[in-house]
Amino acid sequence: MSLSPYSKPLSAEDAAHFLRRTAFGATDAQIRALAGKDAREVARAALNFPALGAGPQPTPGNPFDPQSGATPGAMIQLTRAGWLYELAYSPTPLREKLALVWSGHFVVGTDKVRNGPALAEYLRLLRTHAAGRSFAAFALDIARSPAMLRYLDNDQNKKGKPNENFSRELLELFTTGIGHYTEDDVREGARALSGWGFEGGRGNQNYLETPRFTFTPRQHDDGRKTYLGQSGNLTGEDVVRLAATHPQTATFVARRLHRAFVADTPDEGAVTGSAETFRRTGGDLGAVLEELLSSAAFYGSRQAVIRGPVEYLAAALRTLGQPRLDPKQLVTLTQTAGRMGQLLLQPDTVKGWDGGREWINDSALLTRMNVAASLTVGKAAPEVTQWPGELALLGSERTLLRPAMAGLKPAQRTYLAFISPEFQLA
Amino acid sequence: MTTRRDFLKLSALAVAATTGMPGFLARAATQATGDRTLVVIQLTGGNDGLNTLVPYSNGAYYAARPTIAVPKKDVLTLTPDLGMHPSLRPLAGLWDKGQLAWIENVGYPDPNRSHFASMAIWHTADPAQAQADGWIGRVAEKLGDPFCASNVGGTTPLALRADTFSLPSIESVANFGVKLPAGLEDAFGAMLAAPRGGEADYLGRATRQMLKNTARVQKNAKKYREGATYPEGRFAAQLRDAARLIAAGVGQRILYVSHGNYDTHAGQRGEQDGLLGDLAAGLAAFHADLEAQGLAQKVVVMGFSEFGRRVAENASAGTDHGQGSVMFALGHGVKGGVHGDSPDLENLSLGDIRYKQDFRGVYAGALGGWLGLDARSVLGGEFKGPQWLA
Repeated sequence: MSLSPYSKPLSAEDAAHFLRRTAFGATDAQIRALAGKDAREVARAALNFPALGAGPQPTPGNPFDPQSGATPGAMIQLTRAGWLYELAYSPTPLREKLALVWSGHFVVGTDKVRNGPALAEYLRLLRTHAAGRSFAAFALDIARSPAMLRYLDNDQNKKGKPNENFSRELLELFTTGIGHYTEDDVREGARALSGWGFEGGRGNQNYLETPRFTFTPRQHDDGRKTYLGQSGNLTGEDVVRLAATHPQTATFVARRLHRAFVADTPDEGAVTGSAETFRRTGGDLGAVLEELLSSAAFYGSRQAVIRGPVEYLAAALRTLGQPRLDPKQLVTLTQTAGRMGQLLLQPDTVKGWDGGREWINDSALLTRMNVAASLTVGKAAPEVTQWPGELALLGSERTLLRPAMAGLKPAQRTYLAFISPEFQLA
Repeated sequence: MTTRRDFLKLSALAVAATTGMPGFLARAATQATGDRTLVVIQLTGGNDGLNTLVPYSNGAYYAARPTIAVPKKDVLTLTPDLGMHPSLRPLAGLWDKGQLAWIENVGYPDPNRSHFASMAIWHTADPAQAQADGWIGRVAEKLGDPFCASNVGGTTPLALRADTFSLPSIESVANFGVKLPAGLEDAFGAMLAAPRGGEADYLGRATRQMLKNTARVQKNAKKYREGATYPEGRFAAQLRDAARLIAAGVGQRILYVSHGNYDTHAGQRGEQDGLLGDLAAGLAAFHADLEAQGLAQKVVVMGFSEFGRRVAENASAGTDHGQGSVMFALGHGVKGGVHGDSPDLENLSLGDIRYKQDFRGVYAGALGGWLGLDARSVLGGEFKGPQWLA
């Protein structure tokens, strides 16, 4: 039973809702341009990403080149800022939103991955597979990426001396979720994944050198294994495929997408609908997303997702009409996002960000107030001469906040809207 | 003209007058008795207990860990069988004074080797993982006080989650104040006062509660003068903020600080050595600061990790996830020494030690013996632990 489609032409508020969820928000004009259109066509167009360019960042004009970083730390800062630029300025915001979601799923962290090309390749995989045809292919590419091999220690996993770190998280966090595998599966998976590693790019001196996947047959345990009920001389490729195509993986991944696009606490009936589409299409993420983003469930859920720190910043910049910022300001904003609980490419744990109400605490709210001021009424704020409007800021044309804002200057109104509960929700 | 102070006062009134608050916030706060504080230290990532409190007389320990065992000559001897990891030297003085306790072999039934499931078990104090709120959140509900505990750090742990909201996280005391641009007080008040439902209502309530909390901290935080030199780093800075909150008398009974990353699957000696050194130096400075403030009698520190690690090392000179580990406690209120039996390294469960002490028995001591609360109602049952409090 797949999700029922949303059959009405989009109203202006529907369009605002769609763009808040899929594009971190938009200007009034961008919203009104979608009004009256068909939900399926709108979803399809947003998901129709052009092929990635060959440069370090997909968007021309991105001022950040991680390869120019003078130290590993500088390279990492440039990588983060380069990604924040894409999140706020890319013409394909849904691809960036999905890459952000996947970075909280297939987690790596810059505390261990301190190599520029490895981080760039990881980001490229997140974008390429963001709404790709095969979740299993996505999982396999990530599993073989030097960033992941390093982050979860599978480059240390050798025949007779397994390192279980990646094998465990593959099942617990990337595919089936807890409760659908045994400790034996973790151990057997580690045996199958033994011998996968990478060469090059190790150490603080070689942070700009490109590492490459390696398979070392003498370190691989080629004996018989049993994994998720299948037996044989399983390889690393086999266990990633078995985990990624396990029926529970469909539900686990569908729930992740519903948390990102529908509600912090998703409706399990709707999750089941997407999981069935996932299974029926063999894990086609594009098909699952197209159905989800044009469903009645999607359009029926308003103000149910708390914007995370990075989404909050991208939303502010996109709602303001993508004002030019000094590159230094963008670097600072990536650090601000970190203080609000979301340092790009460095979730606190391998589980990624839980999201929802977890984003909200006193210190994070204070930081949101401060950053909102810096983007509107502060000394270095981009000039706000025109108020972006209630539809763009709050998602609705008639809100209860109108009286509170009466008589204020455009920049002050924008500030108040940015710190309102309504703006902090999508 | 409304001054900032008046504005904050008004905001506080607005909170009290607003409906839709969690039930326990609206109730009259039970007067919390006593002025003692419990500081909980979370070692995130699964700290290896065997390389923390080292069984240096045990051949099985050295046999299982040819590369990463702490050599006998490096161990800081505590008993004929046990010694501390050398990085814990800053805590040796506390041990000598009888103010450092190690609690051996702590775990829970049916151990879970997932970081997140296991941490959730410690946070909820519920191995069945049926509880949605945290054990400290439940303390807040019993006391009817949404400020009786705070996390010092960026992200609120599950332990501090109450039924309908979370206790505060204070990332830095110095920055824990509202800076509203001039002239927007009234508009801000009106914006917050608009009626809302769902998640918008949650965010509105959280913002109003934040105004109250920041006002309470800022009113008192200036009282603190640092009484010891803290080492560099985030963990020590958070402990200094904890000392500052205690010295300010802001009212928290429990403060929570996390320290990580203890997930040492590879190259454990380098990583864990550094972490334990950071831990010990921070805690020693914190204790010295409290001594200088005359507050050390009133504070007990209790530390835990979500699990220990496999007894045998892996091929990467690290250890994979295990079960059972040591806890520690320090302060004047602690009965120094080693409590409980050391794990039997020749009778393992899937390569892991078999725990003997349920962690909820240790929590019960902190709740009942130290804070004077009804541990049973917080933990949902009677749990006995070693007598680790003086």
